Amino acid sequence: MEHPFGVNPGRVLVAKPGMDAHWRGAAIVARILRSAGFEVVYLGHARPAELVVAALDEDVDVIGLSTLSGNHLSEARALFDELRKHGADQDIDVLVGGAVPGADAVLLVQLGVAGVFGPGSRSADIVAAVEASVARRRAAQDRAAG
Amino acid sequence: MSETGITRPVVAGPEHVRPGLADRLGQPGQPPYTRGIHAEMYRTRHWTVRQLAGFGTAADTNGRYRFLLERGATGINGVFDYPSLRAFDSDDPRAEPDVGRGGVAVDGVADFVDLFDGIDLGAVSVSLVSSQPIGAVPHLAMFLVAAQRAGTAATALRGTTQNDFLMETCITIGPAALPPAASFRMACDVAQFCIEGLPRWNPVSVAGYNYREAGADAVLEVALSLAHARAVVAELARRGVDATEAIARMSFFFAAHIDVFEEVAKFRAARRVWHRLAMEELGCRDPRAARLRFHAQTAGTTFSAATPLANVARGALEGLSAIAGGAQSLHVNGFDEAYAIPTEASAAVALRTQQVLLDESGVAASADPFGGSYLVEHLTDELEARVEEGLRSFELQGGVVAITESGWLHAELGRRAWDQYLAAEARPSPDLETGPATQEPEMFVLPDGVLERQRARLAEIRRGRDGRHVRSCLHTVASHAAAGRCVVPATLGAVAAGATLGEVGSALREALGTWNIPLG
Repeated sequence: MEHPFGVNPGRVLVAKPGMDAHWRGAAIVARILRSAGFEVVYLGHARPAELVVAALDEDVDVIGLSTLSGNHLSEARALFDELRKHGADQDIDVLVGGAVPGADAVLLVQLGVAGVFGPGSRSADIVAAVEASVARRRAAQDRAAG
Repeated sequence: MSETGITRPVVAGPEHVRPGLADRLGQPGQPPYTRGIHAEMYRTRHWTVRQLAGFGTAADTNGRYRFLLERGATGINGVFDYPSLRAFDSDDPRAEPDVGRGGVAVDGVADFVDLFDGIDLGAVSVSLVSSQPIGAVPHLAMFLVAAQRAGTAATALRGTTQNDFLMETCITIGPAALPPAASFRMACDVAQFCIEGLPRWNPVSVAGYNYREAGADAVLEVALSLAHARAVVAELARRGVDATEAIARMSFFFAAHIDVFEEVAKFRAARRVWHRLAMEELGCRDPRAARLRFHAQTAGTTFSAATPLANVARGALEGLSAIAGGAQSLHVNGFDEAYAIPTEASAAVALRTQQVLLDESGVAASADPFGGSYLVEHLTDELEARVEEGLRSFELQGGVVAITESGWLHAELGRRAWDQYLAAEARPSPDLETGPATQEPEMFVLPDGVLERQRARLAEIRRGRDGRHVRSCLHTVASHAAAGRCVVPATLGAVAAGATLGEVGSALREALGTWNIPLG
């Protein structure tokens, strides 16, 4: 059903776990997504519990974690624990970007991360992943609405 | 055309060099120091082989320091984990994910004792990459107390504290940053204290490298660095420190980027402009004090994830630009830089790269080897003019603190990072097409149990102390900070009494307030 005010193309929460200090990557990805028409909420540093509350409050479709410090595995694990607590782990997709070695990318996907974008990733691939996550969530919502 | 927008001639000739070159060059070791700060450069004084190291606990990192020193490194380049840089304790819930990551975890004097265990601090120079003033104040205090306990006099200590307020308020981010003016004041407190009491210590190493990595081009990197140093000298002069003395103690940290000739020209231009600025604008009375001394690091953002082994070539070329440009000290990145901090194996290759430059390549034999090259002189003149223009523009905007407070600098770096990104996306990438021949090397893995060991250490630090005395010392730190007095002496008292890093950080944050970095 078409909405009279147009369709929300998708909302993405971009956040940094722990205390990783680099912001260049998060800023570039936020800009890529805004240029592609998505709404981006930049949260900055947040602990997993704060992050999930913000994601639910803002009704985002996707959470994007940006980190270069090497904390990606522990923080993705903690984020999924929080999402499960709120029953949102099947609802909101998580994407991870930053300095992630290939072997860790495999582990992140096993944890439930929908996509991992290491150094050198192309913008088209990031946009496509967000589009797919938004489409999946919208379809699930439509099914739930019957 | 390069990143800076300087058109590159197909062949440079005399027509590309303005008249009066001899005056702009001088001789190595002579004003305006275009050709280097020593008459014979590396023949009489090698650059310091200073490889970054830091991870896990102090004991873990001490092992890496020794590994590097045993293999020929000549200085220590100690990096701290993210919570320690921002002066948070390792058991702060916000800190836990990053304890021992990207650097070593330190929480008190005992960690600094362990960090330098078995290392003669009177003989080896130590760069403390305490990038942010809120961490630089307690780190230096802890280092001094640890050195004293090891029997080394403060006056014998040689080294550097990075101590750059832009690292706290713009270039890198973290929770609860100090406001720019307060962070700048803390940096100047460290500088003032070192100038008065640590004759062989560089109290500020302006982190142009990090400005570059955040998005600056070569011109902005140098212009912002020199404008920053100018502001520190002016503030110290306002406090009554002799300007010549303050100028002599400034040091710089630059990127050695991939555009070899432009980088060589950049280092030469930076020396020339700093000399002019010091002598003409800052009231320097001794040209030798106006020699720009710098550490260089190969550029992390140029290191590829897809072809890690090709990064060995990048490290060598970038290291060459630093040495041909007259660096006093150098770090070459590990080939795994795009993914993680270096393993022992990649750190050893980086160290060997420096030794190839020093012992095998012959680049160290003659001072300023590219001096007189039409191309390099042309680029040096062009960069000099653009850096001077940048300096004037920052002054018109009220200086480095003002352009940070207004958010102009964050926006400018973001805009440039975006433009660089668009340019990179538009370029064909042989790295991505080379394919599976370039398999991912083994990556650094943090040792198990770092958080637990560091928590135990913190408990140990808190257990042995007189709590009431510590509280009173911390109160003095806070009241000195609030009153605008130099905070270093009170901080020395606090950490000697057993105050932790996070406690000093909290005292400073409470006294000085915090600031939301204008991003997002």
